[in-house]
Amino acid sequence: MAADNPIDPIHQFEISKIAEMQIAGIDISFTNSSLFMVFAIAATMTLFILGLSKRSIIPNRMQMLSELSYNFIANMLRDQVGDQGRAYFPFIFSLFMFIFFCNFIGLIPYTFTVTSHLVVTFAFAGLIFLAVTIIGFMKNGLGYLRIFYPSGIPIFLAPLIVPIEIISYLSKPISLSVRLCANMLAGHSILKIFAGFIVMLGFLGFAPLIFLVVLYALETLIAALQAYIFTILTCIYLNDALHPDH
Amino acid sequence: MKFFLKIFIFVLPLSRAYAEGQKSAGLPQMDISTFPSQLFWLIITFTALYLFMWKFVIPRLSTTIEERKDKISNDINDAENLNSEASKILENYDDKMNSASLESNEIVSSSKATMNEYLDKLKKDNEIKINSMITESEKKIHKQKQQSEQEIKKATIDTIKSIVSKYVESVPSDDEISKKLN
Repeated sequence: MAADNPIDPIHQFEISKIAEMQIAGIDISFTNSSLFMVFAIAATMTLFILGLSKRSIIPNRMQMLSELSYNFIANMLRDQVGDQGRAYFPFIFSLFMFIFFCNFIGLIPYTFTVTSHLVVTFAFAGLIFLAVTIIGFMKNGLGYLRIFYPSGIPIFLAPLIVPIEIISYLSKPISLSVRLCANMLAGHSILKIFAGFIVMLGFLGFAPLIFLVVLYALETLIAALQAYIFTILTCIYLNDALHPDH
Repeated sequence: MKFFLKIFIFVLPLSRAYAEGQKSAGLPQMDISTFPSQLFWLIITFTALYLFMWKFVIPRLSTTIEERKDKISNDINDAENLNSEASKILENYDDKMNSASLESNEIVSSSKATMNEYLDKLKKDNEIKINSMITESEKKIHKQKQQSEQEIKKATIDTIKSIVSKYVESVPSDDEISKKLN
């Protein structure tokens, strides 16, 4: 219905097949979404290959960038989880770089934002949720169930607190995935809508243009911020799994 | 509340899509037919990225950062060592300066003392010499005085004798004259 409209704000999220593929009757075609996933990891790999090509004590710009991102995530993980989090660093680092580049590539006009699709963010969130739950039970045994009953709560409040804690625990992957996806979806839709206004208003289009520039700056901030929030929340959940007493 | 609203926004078109049996209805995010492809490629790309990070990036970056840390701490250690060495040398220098000035003071005072001693000795020697010379010359003077007195006396007596002999026959003896003179 709206696909014919050139300024349909939802059009940018549509998935189109590039190469058809099927495995056991399931459609796994290479789509524009897959292409931009490849772009995101290619951008990450390029950054690190360039940054690590000439490793020296005094870093050049690209090495500085890769070391900054490394230190940023390493410090985040150390602050939130402590030394026990070291084992999960490759995952957290990859997660941040992937979401960061997906968000940023999506800001370029005529591109596709991988993270604007709930299934992608929910795949991450669900994986994190499952992993955190498994880690929690592996490290603490049944003692992990303590997170549903925080210490210092009188026993008669337990029937009230425990269901609330269970619901909040189960809603973690939903809130985590929806937060990222909705931010990307809403931000990019609004950008598209205002870009459409510029075209529609013709000469008067400079007013939405100014707004669009401001909005674009805000979206750039949000792209970085949402990648950061997703990563730091993962760290916090991981910390809850490793130290359920807090 | 906002959270439930968000879920509602997503779930509503999904249920509608089910009801109508249409693929293109609502958001493209709700098109279930694209899910396997997205998940499949997400798994492939993210696994590739994870392996790249795990096996390639992180070991290299961490060794580089560790090396830098080591280098910096080594350099700081070296600087501290050199600094302490320099302060030691400075201390040594100060010590030497102090001892040298003490020594020179000693030398000055000892040479002053020897000089004074020498001067005192010289003074004493000279005094003794002068005194002996004075007493000698005094003696000499005294002797000459006595001699000249006696000579004068003798001459006087002789003169008196010669004068008296012209007027009187009996010349008085020397003793008599000297008694009279005194």
